[in-house]
Amino acid sequence: MAHNFRSDVAIDWCPGCGDFGIVTGITQALTEMDFKPEDVALVSGIGCSGKTPHYLNIAGVHTLHGRSIPYAVGVKLANPGLKVLVTSGDGDMLSIGAGHFVAEGRRNTGLTIILYDNEVYGLTKGQASPTMMLGMKTKGLSRPNIFSKLNPIALALASGYTFIARGFSFDTKQLKELIKKAIAHDGTALIDVLQPCPTYNNINTMEWYRERVYKLEDNKDWDPVVTEVNESQTASKYQQAYEKSLEWDQKIPTGVFYQNKTVPSFTRRINEVVPNYLETPPAKQQYRDSQGYTIVDPESTFKEKLVEAA
Amino acid sequence: MPEIDINIIIGGPQGGGIDTSAGMIGRALAYAGLNVISVREFHSNIKGRHSYVHLRAKEGTVRSLTYPVDLLVALDPDTIFEHLQDVGKETRIIYDSGFEGSELSQARMIMRDTQKAIRVNLESGGYPSTVKGMLESMKARGGVPVAVSFDGIISEVIKDGVASRYYNTLGAAITLSVLGIPQEHIISAIKFVFGNKEKVIEPNVEVVNSAYKFAGSLNIDPSGFKKSKPEKALMLTGNDGAALGKLMGGLRFQTYYPITPASDESSAIEEHENIQWIRGESDNLSKGGVTVVQAEDELSAITMASGAALTGVRSATATSGPGFSLMAEAISFAGMDEIPVVITLYQRGGPSTGLPTRNGQSDLLFALNTGHGEFPRIVISSGDVEECVYDAMNALNYANRYQLPVIHLIDKNLANTTQLVNNVDPRKVKIVNSPVTTDKNGFKRYDLNTENGISKMGFFGRDIFWMTGDEHDELGHVTEDPEMRDRQMEKRFRKLETADAEIPIQEKVLLLGEADASFTLVTWGSQKGVCLDVLDRFKKKGVKIKLLYLKMFHPFPSEFVYEVLKKSEKVIDLESNMLAQAAQVIRTRTGFKIENQILKYNGRHVTEDELYEAIERIIAGKDTKVVLTNGA
Repeated sequence: MAHNFRSDVAIDWCPGCGDFGIVTGITQALTEMDFKPEDVALVSGIGCSGKTPHYLNIAGVHTLHGRSIPYAVGVKLANPGLKVLVTSGDGDMLSIGAGHFVAEGRRNTGLTIILYDNEVYGLTKGQASPTMMLGMKTKGLSRPNIFSKLNPIALALASGYTFIARGFSFDTKQLKELIKKAIAHDGTALIDVLQPCPTYNNINTMEWYRERVYKLEDNKDWDPVVTEVNESQTASKYQQAYEKSLEWDQKIPTGVFYQNKTVPSFTRRINEVVPNYLETPPAKQQYRDSQGYTIVDPESTFKEKLVEAA
Repeated sequence: MPEIDINIIIGGPQGGGIDTSAGMIGRALAYAGLNVISVREFHSNIKGRHSYVHLRAKEGTVRSLTYPVDLLVALDPDTIFEHLQDVGKETRIIYDSGFEGSELSQARMIMRDTQKAIRVNLESGGYPSTVKGMLESMKARGGVPVAVSFDGIISEVIKDGVASRYYNTLGAAITLSVLGIPQEHIISAIKFVFGNKEKVIEPNVEVVNSAYKFAGSLNIDPSGFKKSKPEKALMLTGNDGAALGKLMGGLRFQTYYPITPASDESSAIEEHENIQWIRGESDNLSKGGVTVVQAEDELSAITMASGAALTGVRSATATSGPGFSLMAEAISFAGMDEIPVVITLYQRGGPSTGLPTRNGQSDLLFALNTGHGEFPRIVISSGDVEECVYDAMNALNYANRYQLPVIHLIDKNLANTTQLVNNVDPRKVKIVNSPVTTDKNGFKRYDLNTENGISKMGFFGRDIFWMTGDEHDELGHVTEDPEMRDRQMEKRFRKLETADAEIPIQEKVLLLGEADASFTLVTWGSQKGVCLDVLDRFKKKGVKIKLLYLKMFHPFPSEFVYEVLKKSEKVIDLESNMLAQAAQVIRTRTGFKIENQILKYNGRHVTEDELYEAIERIIAGKDTKVVLTNGA
């Protein structure tokens, strides 16, 4: 029987929070992909999004503010057979953890990153997050926001992400499909999930988004996938994704912006240099004999350091 | 025949092959059956500034360096300018005659403060501010300058090509020939250093031949060498030792962000990612290489290593002070979530960027207190290259047996010390882990039903459980329940009591030297060797001193330390920091106040001569505190 991936922990997000849709999207995707709970691990950071692991019946770690990506990279690289999901907020991912967000593009480790994008820091009472627009004054702010808005899709493109999508937390059907595609992608995937914060963001509400979002896939000619190592194909897909990433005010695109299947994942790159990496990754290795002693031969491993008096 | 004991400094510009030169000398001396120790000193600079290697070779055990040196080999004028104080009676100063006219004012790569001090020194002796003046000044100290034409010797055999490219080989060859080391040994060393590159080996061997021919004409009487019995040893730096120990200890995942003097360890692990196995039982085990990842910063290095540990792999990172500062929050997380992770902390001169390429032991109190909140950790320290190997194995054991962060301190001096480690023993340290769960349902990662505080481990990819930096219940879910909070806090700290009870005393502290001595010297880290050598010297003079050598700072062996100290007539603390941090730990943990201190914080290693004098002064009651200042 397929698993229901919800745990029995009571969810304490506010009523109407966009986070619920994400949990639904994740559990539906995992069920439809027929995973067993031990096939998947979930890593989160701090904030409302950080609570997600506790609500799911898979191994999960609720880590530090901004550090969900490197914790997840450690899990994935030690055990590359695992599907590793990251659930993190816009502040977590694009402010305090922005360095890791950018570095992950270069690595392309194979994570599925779900970015909870509601423009505010909810758990600390509604401060502006990096995705809030300049001049916007939400409930939690004493005066309009004086920072510019960061564009997560464009930043992901520039950083080298090989799967970039956007979902809307009240369209769980599309979100579930995006999560499935992201998990199936061999490389790191980013899904920027637009969602309201009903408590602190009184501007970008569910209705505000509903009036604006449209699906890229509704256009039959939209093809975001780079399928071969071909500079001009890559350039044109990159270009159209970038242009779409700039649409915001009146119409906001959702769906897959860009996918590049030709860039090898980090685990494949490691496999080129570390003996038997994918076959026996670090987590699958035995390192002691039946008596508990090391199986590493010091002198032949460090043979170039060996000195014998003549 | 007198006992062979030679101290050498070979100096030249950074990037000019001093390391290669020292490597050749060290290897050739080892091939000749001698024991060798060497320390590399360099600036935070890629090319040009003064760097040198201080090397000592002895027939017996060699544990420390001393001044004055027997040989000063100068591959550039700066070496002559910088090392006046290292020259004594009969020190041979080998240099290129072309350096003689070099003016101090043209030596732009010498730090301004240093240049000024050298000028004042020369002027006060009435010498001109040139290499020639410097050599005169060295002669006044008993030094014997030996002028050589580097280019002349090289051009005898190298007809085309840049002569200075061979200075490193020439320096090594002259040194060894003057010492009377048979030519075959340096040729073997060259073949080793240059691998299979015949085209490179050939001209270098020619340079060696030419240098030996020239040295014969110098009429320096080399002390003869008696070959000691052949030994099989690994010639390792402290960085190499820790790398080897980690691999032997089961490490299969290491992260790092580039920083001096820690990165060399990660490079050494990466260079040996293709591990060689002890044949037999291992043939049927599932094996692979070690994965080393260069992270985007130290925040990532420690969190990545911690993430890997969740899957059951033995995992670690290595850094130095500035990087360790960034790791603080994640170390607290590892303590809270009971994650087995090792942080090898290479100490250098702080604070801030401080002396990035120089020695220091000023991070002890920081290592003991890093991270917010109260959580159990283990802090250990190594004092020689051999200890680096086995301590690195132990560090991984402690982390995995007690499920906590382990901080392994190694100072820069030790990281860059090269020593011969005899017969590395794969059966010296047994690999120990925590028990692992067999529960398929309802696994409690933080099970409170445990007397020793150790709950069963589970692994991502195998078991379902939760973790959070928040206080948590037995399943790992967030809780703020006051009783659960108390019980989880107490459970975590029970592990430390268990560790304290289980870890044998010899892994925490050693009492060395004369057990019945009334004087006690206290130290930790890389001063271990120099202390033992100084104790031997005092013993020969009839003065008995014992050494209380500290290895584990948390949990701290308070009783043992207090018992030793309270019975001592005089206690002297030796450390490479300004605040006598280990003495502070002793005071906090035992209430015992150490009255005498020998401290060094100029970033250079403690040498035998200066330590001997300092102890003499303290024993004689002339001083209670001495600050050591040796080193260029």
